[in-house]
Amino acid sequence: MQKFAPSVLVLALGAALAGCQDQGPQKDHVKINKNPYPSTYTVFENSSTLITNATVLTGTGERLEQADVFILDGKIAQVGKDLNVNADNTIDAQSKWVTPGIIDVHSHLGAYPSPSVESHQDGNEMTSPNTAEVWVEHSVWPQDPGFNRAREGGITTLQILPGSANLFGGRAVTLKNVPAHTMQAMKFPNAPYGLKMACGENPKRVYGSNKIAPQTRMGNMAGYRQAWIEASEYKSAWEQYDAEHAAGLNPDAPKRDIKYDTLRGVLDGEVMIHNHCYKAEEMAMMIDLAKEFNYHAGTFHHGIEAYKIADLLAENGNCAALWPDWWGFKMEAYDMVLENVAIVDAVKNSCAVVHSDSDTTIQRLNHEASKIMHTANQNGFALKEQDAIKWITYNAAKSLGVEKETGSLSQGKQADVVIWDKNPFSVYSKAETVYVDGAKVYDRNDEKYQAVSDFMLGQR
Amino acid sequence: MTKFKVSLITGALLVSSSAFAQVTAITNATVHTSTEQGILKDATVVIENGKITAINPASVAADVTIDAKDQVLTAGFIGSMNQLGLVEVGAVSRSRDAGDDKAGIDFDTSSAFNPRSSLIPYARKGGVTQNVTVPHGGDSIFAGLAFVADLSGKFGSITDKHSALVVHLGAKSDGSRALSYKQLVDKLEGQQQSLAEKDDKKDKKDKKPSLEEQVLTQILDGEMPIVTHLTRASDILEIIKIKKQFDINVIVWGGEDAQLVKAQLADAQIPVIVSAVSNLPSDFDSLHASLETAGVLEKAGVKVILSIGGDGSHNVYQLRFDAGIAVSNGMSHEGALKALTANVADSFGIEGGTIAKGQRADLVLWSADPFEISTHVQKMWINGEEVSTKSRHDKLRDRYTTDSKLPRAYTK
Repeated sequence: MQKFAPSVLVLALGAALAGCQDQGPQKDHVKINKNPYPSTYTVFENSSTLITNATVLTGTGERLEQADVFILDGKIAQVGKDLNVNADNTIDAQSKWVTPGIIDVHSHLGAYPSPSVESHQDGNEMTSPNTAEVWVEHSVWPQDPGFNRAREGGITTLQILPGSANLFGGRAVTLKNVPAHTMQAMKFPNAPYGLKMACGENPKRVYGSNKIAPQTRMGNMAGYRQAWIEASEYKSAWEQYDAEHAAGLNPDAPKRDIKYDTLRGVLDGEVMIHNHCYKAEEMAMMIDLAKEFNYHAGTFHHGIEAYKIADLLAENGNCAALWPDWWGFKMEAYDMVLENVAIVDAVKNSCAVVHSDSDTTIQRLNHEASKIMHTANQNGFALKEQDAIKWITYNAAKSLGVEKETGSLSQGKQADVVIWDKNPFSVYSKAETVYVDGAKVYDRNDEKYQAVSDFMLGQR
Repeated sequence: MTKFKVSLITGALLVSSSAFAQVTAITNATVHTSTEQGILKDATVVIENGKITAINPASVAADVTIDAKDQVLTAGFIGSMNQLGLVEVGAVSRSRDAGDDKAGIDFDTSSAFNPRSSLIPYARKGGVTQNVTVPHGGDSIFAGLAFVADLSGKFGSITDKHSALVVHLGAKSDGSRALSYKQLVDKLEGQQQSLAEKDDKKDKKDKKPSLEEQVLTQILDGEMPIVTHLTRASDILEIIKIKKQFDINVIVWGGEDAQLVKAQLADAQIPVIVSAVSNLPSDFDSLHASLETAGVLEKAGVKVILSIGGDGSHNVYQLRFDAGIAVSNGMSHEGALKALTANVADSFGIEGGTIAKGQRADLVLWSADPFEISTHVQKMWINGEEVSTKSRHDKLRDRYTTDSKLPRAYTK
């Protein structure tokens, strides 16, 4: 029975399991509902669309000139030259560019919305270093005008993360960037959940300054390790319960704890780690931490020093979601280089992502990627648009675990598509038309497709 | 010993003065003058002794001639409303000097300016040659005095210690904005009164005025502008009233709602400092925030200055991209360039900001359109001297992209 190491938690669980040999009719099997707030997103009304004569960046490294994109039933049906198909709408995109919908893996829209008034500070439960029990989707205000501004910049999918004050900040959620008045109606169907973790200065500052652990970086590591030990015990307890129940025994279910549900989700490979972590030596330790407890360290966000460990990231299959140029706001952001993303990207099997963490730059991730590409090319790289677009499409989808659904213009994928008025790597470029699942959700030239949030209605 | 010292100094002086005396001619450039001359094609600009000495002279005998064919020459950009030189790392308290609880009208941070800050060479990557640094102040609505420095990184690079008084008006987290206006008006009226009394008592011995009194007098005399940080349209109208009451120079900083009162702003000749990318209603003062603000104000005849929102100290190099965004949302290219150069210089009384004979030689030679992301700085000059755009960021990149059998620490 008591085969795992004793701890306060385990003793409690042990007590709960003590009745497993009870006689009598078997009690109902207690199952944890892993999706209690399911997506209610439905594809908007759409018809088949043929975009012709565009410069097409596929998101998978290809650039096609004078090419067509055919969207049918909300999916990418065909991409190529002179497609011979019948479509309800044909759009002549001569001299325009077409890319997959842009994906931001790091946003706080809805949780830290505009207006950023007191009542809207819903992005970080700064009450304990481990708040793995909170789900940021429960904070998302779908009326944040920032969602609309982001859509006007071509954002079709985005991950909302809780803030970084805690070692474990809570669950992240991936949304379709469609106008809606419930969170569930934006939720990306079947996207894996994320778990926000944070390294470095933030947790130790927020708690250490109040004489609560962690106060140091070693305190941070101790906090993660202790939590993973407890989560491993929780996982074992439930697995044992399930096994005994399946064997016809009559065990009592372990006590449910939503904090450990989330951590267990990581150990089970169902929840992906999104780790705010700036420094090379810390990312290297987080990779080892994941090995110690047998999970994957996931994506490193804000990795200002990712360029120092580009090999290590690629070897271990970690994406790095990075800014082009933010720096200097704290010590761990001091060693920025403008070519960070390009250096990470240059390694085989890498996964370099450009993220925003901003309600402003999320509107121009194409420009953010462009800054990196051009600066890197000034300094020995030879990157092209078809390479750099991956940082904000395919690689971002991979980081979120939705690369089979979106992130490239591959046949059968969701038709999340942006038509740009010119090369999206030009500072003067703007998204002209945006499609989510083949439905037009934004048109710069047609007011009918320009959503206004409830908050802004009647204000201007 | 002493002799040796002297000779060292003399040597240094000789080197610097000979570099100064050099005549440099930039030829075949597309010159954006930011003056009435507009854009000059295939033009020659001559610099000597820190000044622009000639544009398109009949003949030129230069020590150095730069063929700038297909390249663009602009005046150096002027950053503003950030803490450049007063902060190294935002979260490191001992590297911050822009704020103090006790700050007020006489809070002069120029003595805390660090020309050796790593932010300065980094800012040069964006073609920024001068900066208006502002304190963020403390408890008072008076944040302190803005100063101007060039970005040569040299000691003594401050060119104007008292270029404006920064005043925070508009929305408050604690208390009412009504009191802020009263405080400003009271200060100005008080100084007006004491100046009038002083005129009456000519026989009395003049006491040396305090720095606060000097600043207020300069403002009342029209010699120094006040920069008022506010965004709501009604606040803009309020400050226009105050400007008219005291006949002072006012610059509005923020102005997210400025579109609503653009005609009044133009009429009152108030320059407006905007962030080109501020388009979210961050509070109830900024419901009209829009990417089009800069262009709309320009068309209404308002003098627009572009500055970086948020952490403008570390990100001032991004000014040129913000200008591009302003252009793609309705501002003229020439207007956006002036918003980074001539308009800043005019509004704060700074030398520079245009390419004209006799002007300070702060120049940037760009590979192409300065706002475009693919463009880069080819060469730049501050006060006539060529400066580098290299910073420690380049050293870090090179360390980690250069193969070596030894640990990285040996790659320098």
